Amino acid sequence: MSDVHIGGWRDPKLSELGLEAFGRAIDICIEKKVDFVLISGDLFDTSLPSVDRLKTTVIHLRKVKNAKIPVYIIAGSHDFSPSGKTMLDVLEEAQLVINVVKGEIIDNKLKLRFTIDEKTGVKITGMLGKKGCLEKKYYENLLKHHLEEEDGYKIFMFHSALEEFKPKGLENMEANPLSLLPKNFNYYAGGHVHYIFDKQEPGYGLITYPGALFPNNFAELEKYGRGGFYIVENDNLDWIPVQIYSHAKIEVLSNHNSPREIENNILSEIDKLELKNSIVTIRVHGTLENGKVFDIDFNKLFEAVTNKGAYFVMKNTSALKTKEFEEIKVNTIDSKDVEIKLIKEHIGQIKVKNLDLEQESQLTSDMMNLLNTMKQEGEKVVDFEKRVVDGFKGLLRIE
Amino acid sequence: MKGIVIGGKFGEICIRQKSSEKIELGELLVSQSDQGKILLQVFDLIYGSQITQQNLELVSGLKLEQNENSDFFDANLRNYNLALLKPMINVSNVNAKLCKELPVFFSEVREITSSDLSFLEKPNDSIFVGNLRSGSKVLDVDVYLPGKNVFTHHVLIAATTGRGKSNMLSVMLWDSLDKTYCGTLVLDPHDEYYGRNKLGLKDHSSNKVVYYSSNPVSGTRTLKINIKNIKPWHFNGCINFSDPQIQALQQYYKEYGKNWIEAIVLDKSLLEKNSFFEGTIAVIKRVLMQILSIESNGHEIFTNSIFETSAGDTTITDICNELEQSNTVIIDTSVFSGNVEILIGSLVSWEIFSRYKNYKGKGELNNKPVINIILEEAPRVLGKEILERGSNIFATIAREGRKFQVGLTAITQLPSLIPRQILANMNTKIILGIEMAPERQAIIDSASQDLSTDNRNIASLDKGEAIITSNFTKFAMPIRIPLFEKFAKIEEKENVKLNYGGFSN
Repeated sequence: MSDVHIGGWRDPKLSELGLEAFGRAIDICIEKKVDFVLISGDLFDTSLPSVDRLKTTVIHLRKVKNAKIPVYIIAGSHDFSPSGKTMLDVLEEAQLVINVVKGEIIDNKLKLRFTIDEKTGVKITGMLGKKGCLEKKYYENLLKHHLEEEDGYKIFMFHSALEEFKPKGLENMEANPLSLLPKNFNYYAGGHVHYIFDKQEPGYGLITYPGALFPNNFAELEKYGRGGFYIVENDNLDWIPVQIYSHAKIEVLSNHNSPREIENNILSEIDKLELKNSIVTIRVHGTLENGKVFDIDFNKLFEAVTNKGAYFVMKNTSALKTKEFEEIKVNTIDSKDVEIKLIKEHIGQIKVKNLDLEQESQLTSDMMNLLNTMKQEGEKVVDFEKRVVDGFKGLLRIE
Repeated sequence: MKGIVIGGKFGEICIRQKSSEKIELGELLVSQSDQGKILLQVFDLIYGSQITQQNLELVSGLKLEQNENSDFFDANLRNYNLALLKPMINVSNVNAKLCKELPVFFSEVREITSSDLSFLEKPNDSIFVGNLRSGSKVLDVDVYLPGKNVFTHHVLIAATTGRGKSNMLSVMLWDSLDKTYCGTLVLDPHDEYYGRNKLGLKDHSSNKVVYYSSNPVSGTRTLKINIKNIKPWHFNGCINFSDPQIQALQQYYKEYGKNWIEAIVLDKSLLEKNSFFEGTIAVIKRVLMQILSIESNGHEIFTNSIFETSAGDTTITDICNELEQSNTVIIDTSVFSGNVEILIGSLVSWEIFSRYKNYKGKGELNNKPVINIILEEAPRVLGKEILERGSNIFATIAREGRKFQVGLTAITQLPSLIPRQILANMNTKIILGIEMAPERQAIIDSASQDLSTDNRNIASLDKGEAIITSNFTKFAMPIRIPLFEKFAKIEEKENVKLNYGGFSN
């Protein structure tokens, strides 16, 4: 599995579902008596997740450990931290997971070492993922010969998009070429791209992306409705869906309708659907005849959805244009992508000693994540402030 | 001084060569007067003598038959060389204009120097092509062309094998790599430009080379194209389908959309099935399966080449995006048949041309780099015979591309196979050595400057020597192209110690 993104949603109800999906996936793994679990990056949405999320994650991981199923993991672009202050290290210290990105640095080149699964003898190694595909440098300096020549059943875990396998719609995603991966592995457990994909690639092996374990944003929720993971047996793949709540999609096109007309159209859709225990997404696109987007009474619509027993409802009006602003281009890409793009555009403008561009990019991204920290329930303002300040001190290495 | 103007007419000025000087075919000379300078070029060399032909024959007979050791009295005065020159350009101060006058009678003609060429400027959107050449002598004058205009108005590179066209292109491509005004698509049938095992464009410090190959080097991209991205019209110029076959392809596309190839291979029926003979469908199925290397078990299709069903969704889009970012995309087509190579070129060219047409419609074209599509063995898609069977995207670009900032660089040994109308549209021609007279004539007839007296000049071009005739140069410029290995300067990469965060023992 990959891209669990624990703590990924801002809304607590959906954030909870991410964790629940992880718990459900772990339960299935135990029930199916798998030999081991691979998590190909982004177990957490951030390198320093909240205590609550961490606690529940640990409970799930302990459960799988008690079932004597080892969990092999790599860091992804979200839970990687160049400073080493990542919760994955803590989980590894607690022997709940095994990070397989291990080896040595020889003449500025990376030499990965295999981690051997005791029960099956399967040899596992992998490469972490970094934001903006910065792991490319690691691959470019990776010594591959010994990995490719190694005998036995081998698994390579990675957290990168691959140019050759990007799906339509993700053309602009930063990706690495397939040729950077070492060849001759039996199985390539991929993460980072939230889509379900498998392909037997000549010279390589079976390359897979299981997609996110739980959809990570509105568009994914709308497209997939649920997440899932692969159970692999003798190279036979079985994609196991993890459905916590069903998904209902309402999509309304405004063809120069008024806000009232749009409301009525949505209400009529709500009437038609069975919404009990479901997550409802409402997308409105097109052009408004008059008024503004906020003239649509979404509170009323949400109430109608909730009255039908829905678990959660959310809306997206980013592609709804008002008549007077019809010409304005609407960018609907993910906010994280926007952040990465902006960092890339502005990087290097301020000269900081002993900080190369890659480190500066990572630091900027980490600072933005830190500034995005929310005050925890029951946390005092003073403690919250201290936590943020300490975080900055750590990032900036200030005593 | 090289000689003195002694006669002739406009376009054929005769000078007597000074006996101690050497004059070569193609050499550039200068006739200077108070009004300015006239640049002249030698296009023919002949002997002259004060002694009658009859006496010359007698004297030579005495020498040959009777071993008489006789010399001419005042030999340098009596026997000499004459050179025929054509006026190239008139230079006054730093202004240069087409020459419309004769040099002063009996005026001196001297060797050209770099300072005579100070009117040659380096444009902002420059592309380096070589050093100016006078005969076989290379001058210390770099020749730059205005890249934007040159590329959008198409380039023809004509040369017999072994005359240095790969070297010429390598030099031009290397020079273009740090420019932002141009994105270049190179269909490379000999896998020679990237430099897989030798010095090549990969070694340029700009990191603007994107390389696709079915056998990629580590870090480069594997060429995979999803068959769902292929449309019936992409086969124009690539496969010679008959009219009924084309109609059948279009009908499948109309009914099955992006799954049309799969539908043909899996024998799915058409609503208008009766409109087509079974044989027609069988032929298009066989041809498609053969060119795309598709196999089928009757229920699903299997691919065994760069054409895929589950990968390469974004390859064409990615390539076009790279071109729009003024990168150079090299596609190694060395292992493919000519048809497959043209199909790949057609797919990318259609996409980028459509995009640019769209940008023009939206008024965004000026913000985009110009696109240069490099096409080897151009008559395969631009040949008269091919075009008689139907047009294709390359012919469309040759005719209309400049309006949309998309141009072709067509390379060929046989320019005579390309229709005159298209040759005339190629406003820059880089002529390397061509041995065959009809091929030289085709180029001369469609050149931007008058090359009617340059037949011998072109025939005598040595390896690495070229003549550039272009709407964007002031005269047909003789150049010497530097050897790529000497031209490409590789910057030593600093060995930066990487910080491998997240990697542990």
